[in-house]
Amino acid sequence: MASTSLLPAGDFRTTYAADTTIFPTVTSRNCAIAGVVLLCLAPYFLSQYWISLLIQIGYFGVAALGLNILVGFTGQISIGHAAFFGFGAFSSAYVSTQLGVPAFFAIPIAGVMTALVGLIFGLPAARLKGLYLAIATLAAQYILLDFFSRAEWFTGGSIPASAEPFRLFGYTFNTDRQYFYVVLAYVVLSCLLVTNLIRSRDGRAFVAIRDHYLSAEMMGINLTKYRTLSFGLAAFYAGIGGALYAHYAQVVSNEGFGIERSIVFLAMIIIGGVGSVMGTLMGTAFMVLLPEAMEWISADLRGSVIDDMLSFNNNIAFLREIAIGLVIVLFLMFEPDGLAHRWRQIKAYWKLYPFSH
Amino acid sequence: MNTLFLIQLLVNGLIVGTLYGVVAMSFVLIYKATQVVNFAQGEFLLIGAWVCWWLLTKYQIPFYLGMPITLVFMFAFGVALQVVVLRPMIGEPIISVIMVTIGLSTVFQALMKWMFGTNLQPFPTVFETQTVNVFGLYIQSIYLMSLAVSVLMMAGMGWFFRATKHGLAMRATAFDQQVAQSLGISVENVFAMAWAISAMVSAVAGVVVAVVNGVSAGLSAYGIKVFPAAILGGLDSIAGAVVGGIIIGLLENIAHFIDSEYLHWGNLYEVAPFYVMIIILMIKPYGLFGTRDIERV
Amino acid sequence: MRGMMLLRDVSLAVLVCGLAGAAQAETVQVGQLADYSGGTADVGVPFGQGLIDGMAWANKRGGVTVELDTVDYGYKVPRAVAQYKKWTGGDTKMPAILGWGTADTEALTGFIARDKIPYMSASYSAALTDPTGKSGKTKPAPYNFFYAPSYSDALRAMLTWAAQDWKSKGKPGKPKFVHMGANHPYPNAPKEAGEAIAKELGFEVLPPVQFALTPGDYTAQCLTLKNTGANYAYLGNTAGSNIAVLKACKNVGADVQFLGNVWGMDENAAKAAGDAADGVVFPLRTAIPYGGDAPGANNLKDVSKNSDPTGNAYRPVHYVAGVCTALYMKEAIDWAAKNGGVTGENVKKGFYQKKDWVPAGMEGVCKPSTWTETDHRPMLNIDLYRIRVSGSTDAPLPELIKNGTIKLEKVATIDLPRKPEWLGW
Repeated sequence: MASTSLLPAGDFRTTYAADTTIFPTVTSRNCAIAGVVLLCLAPYFLSQYWISLLIQIGYFGVAALGLNILVGFTGQISIGHAAFFGFGAFSSAYVSTQLGVPAFFAIPIAGVMTALVGLIFGLPAARLKGLYLAIATLAAQYILLDFFSRAEWFTGGSIPASAEPFRLFGYTFNTDRQYFYVVLAYVVLSCLLVTNLIRSRDGRAFVAIRDHYLSAEMMGINLTKYRTLSFGLAAFYAGIGGALYAHYAQVVSNEGFGIERSIVFLAMIIIGGVGSVMGTLMGTAFMVLLPEAMEWISADLRGSVIDDMLSFNNNIAFLREIAIGLVIVLFLMFEPDGLAHRWRQIKAYWKLYPFSH
Repeated sequence: MNTLFLIQLLVNGLIVGTLYGVVAMSFVLIYKATQVVNFAQGEFLLIGAWVCWWLLTKYQIPFYLGMPITLVFMFAFGVALQVVVLRPMIGEPIISVIMVTIGLSTVFQALMKWMFGTNLQPFPTVFETQTVNVFGLYIQSIYLMSLAVSVLMMAGMGWFFRATKHGLAMRATAFDQQVAQSLGISVENVFAMAWAISAMVSAVAGVVVAVVNGVSAGLSAYGIKVFPAAILGGLDSIAGAVVGGIIIGLLENIAHFIDSEYLHWGNLYEVAPFYVMIIILMIKPYGLFGTRDIERV
Repeated sequence: MRGMMLLRDVSLAVLVCGLAGAAQAETVQVGQLADYSGGTADVGVPFGQGLIDGMAWANKRGGVTVELDTVDYGYKVPRAVAQYKKWTGGDTKMPAILGWGTADTEALTGFIARDKIPYMSASYSAALTDPTGKSGKTKPAPYNFFYAPSYSDALRAMLTWAAQDWKSKGKPGKPKFVHMGANHPYPNAPKEAGEAIAKELGFEVLPPVQFALTPGDYTAQCLTLKNTGANYAYLGNTAGSNIAVLKACKNVGADVQFLGNVWGMDENAAKAAGDAADGVVFPLRTAIPYGGDAPGANNLKDVSKNSDPTGNAYRPVHYVAGVCTALYMKEAIDWAAKNGGVTGENVKKGFYQKKDWVPAGMEGVCKPSTWTETDHRPMLNIDLYRIRVSGSTDAPLPELIKNGTIKLEKVATIDLPRKPEWLGW
């Protein structure tokens, strides 16, 4: 995190308020606002397919933000994030169909419900460290998955649960182009909230726990409280992401919430860069576009010599999985700090050109 | 209470449990020697089984030749994996190392499905399988052989660590890497050997399972079961891993017994190990035989 | 890359629009969801191939040219839903979709009814057979079709046979029935209906036993089977994991008559399971297996040549069923073209065109099927076959079939009454 707090010479802050702004410079703030405005206009000139990809990046990004709070800022490990994502999806579907709550309120309610479940899992997790925590979250993943398939009152058991489409003042956000704005709003809100979290007292406590928990404890930070809180927050964002997914697909089945999905979430934050909000979004975009890119490549290569040699056509699904695994391994070997770090390096290169070292 | 049924299940649990124990033993070997959690352990079984099947069916090599060739291949594979992928990761935080092995497991699973298909393939007949009747449970001779092989492997590992120079080197490295290095032990070679031995032992377990049930992607599931076994026994105790594996095997079948007689939930067999693991992590995280982690500042 | 993709999407949309507007020599795009890599790939591959070959053969004989857009969704519902959105997101709607699995078909039922797209699935869940919802047992599925006896009807037929079989063997007392399968919509579909009719027929119904859709070690489940003394066990999964159960139960020494669902057993599975598969009874969707004797058998061989020019491959039962499914879809589309244009609603009406309908050229191969506005159960006359394995199955499959090591012999034909209270359930 040292790289973000290094200010170039001549850039003075004279008040505390100025030092803890969300955006380090005016330019970066303007860029962010311009980016959001550009995205608002996106549905008018992008095809349906791209809008659906952007929506996917949106709801997975919100969930990955939660995981980043847990892994990047607090230094814990969780291999069970997809279970929380699924819980958010199911609870939003349940609340909107069985209890008749409109989707607008169902999404935050699902987030809160998932946060409660996350707190329950966080309490025992606060006692474990490192590897043991990872394995405990692995077990939690399987146990929650088992719960999904057997709690028929909640999830419909093995039959997929249905969720209501998103309605606001009687206007139904049924098509992708309309739902895009809902997701965009949540993404912007989540990013702002998480960035704000880091500059707040609790955020600093998280970072302290990650960097050296013994010293943090000696300074008076209650380890158990903050570790549990971190789990709860991660689960909250996962729940919001899951709820967004539920109202988009309008059908929730417990197949998308297994260990493979947890692995993809971890890949998203690792490839993007742990501990960085922008990195999370970049990593999510990468992991969502990777399978699509494999599809394009295989579609283009279909019928050619390479296709026959490697028998691509029928095995495209395996190629996708191999690509995901390889990408994880290669990034960890050659770019362990992720895309955000690489992006900072590129910015620094241009900023310091021609004196970069 | 249906005692005959329970005893049959317990015998089945014992047999399956020794296999879990063997796989857990290889897992703990890697962890103890190199401090790496190998999420791809199940895939070692899978690769070993597929390679052996391929040698036996494509090239019609007899089993007593194909099996050693498979072992040699797995040895080389383990060394290659350690050198190419894991050596650059020495010193990285634990989350990165875990993710690398997870990534490897994804790659191997998909690669095996690509090369050999998704269907279950029966293993060519290895022995004239006669079944032995133990308490009404017909145990195939291959399972008895696997029991014997597992015990042999455990004994072999024990002897290796106690009586040979290389085994002593591994124990020294596991205890304190820096002191071992200062004594002239090549830590890198120790790491490579740990992975190679682990791969070989897992491959043997994989072939044993494949002979009875056929080769399929389901073999990877052993890689997930290894966690409860290793945690129960203690992550850095090889003997503990074996005991843990046997206990998990027995526990699964006891859970199935309770489920089919009284509870009728249907799948307690699959989830019981995970519940047990959570309980163990809460009460006694270092397992039955693990050493307590001393907090270092 | 982005711009290229955008250009490709736009030009494809224009092309489809243009083609849809053309009156003669029509080409339509029909989506095909297939499982070539997921939990049911062992049966998904031959069925998908059958669909493709059957459609290609039918295209050569004239009428509307149907192009299949095959997508492997790996048996994951979220991917199926995403693919459906991709297909229906454009301006022109697809006239039909060939689906696959139970979970995703049931998930999409509402969408296809809203978008009016006939959906011919490879899932034969009874919940898809009630177009108007008047049975009260399931939600209305006006656009869902399939070519097969529903899982529930097939189980009812097999239980009817089992009751007769028990009596004919002169065994005393009540026979015991147990449902085995994964906790998933596909094996669970006929559970209730099966257990209800079992009780009616005088079976003692044991608690169901679960085993996963993936192959694994199922010794414990077989021990339960042996311990409870089950006589008839329904295997609800596809062949891949059923084989694991069959082998495990043979090792354990459980003496059970296994009843499979249509996807639960085929010639490839018999080869893989060896003599553990001997004696399994399961229904066939077609009047003959591949290589059988019928007026349309030569046409079936022609169809197979589309992907196997040598003509030596042996096609499992799922391939033949896929061929028939494709042909029904093609004839429905052809009917729609002549009766108002190829739209979803007209294709749906095309399914009601004939009673006891057999596609042209497949007499004696495809079983006569009837769909009506109020009842989407196409056949209630169910053929039950038994797999016979009489030796080592190491040789390639065509050889094993030729020398009779693997045989399909017909056991019985059960004619179920078309009861209204059995609709949708």
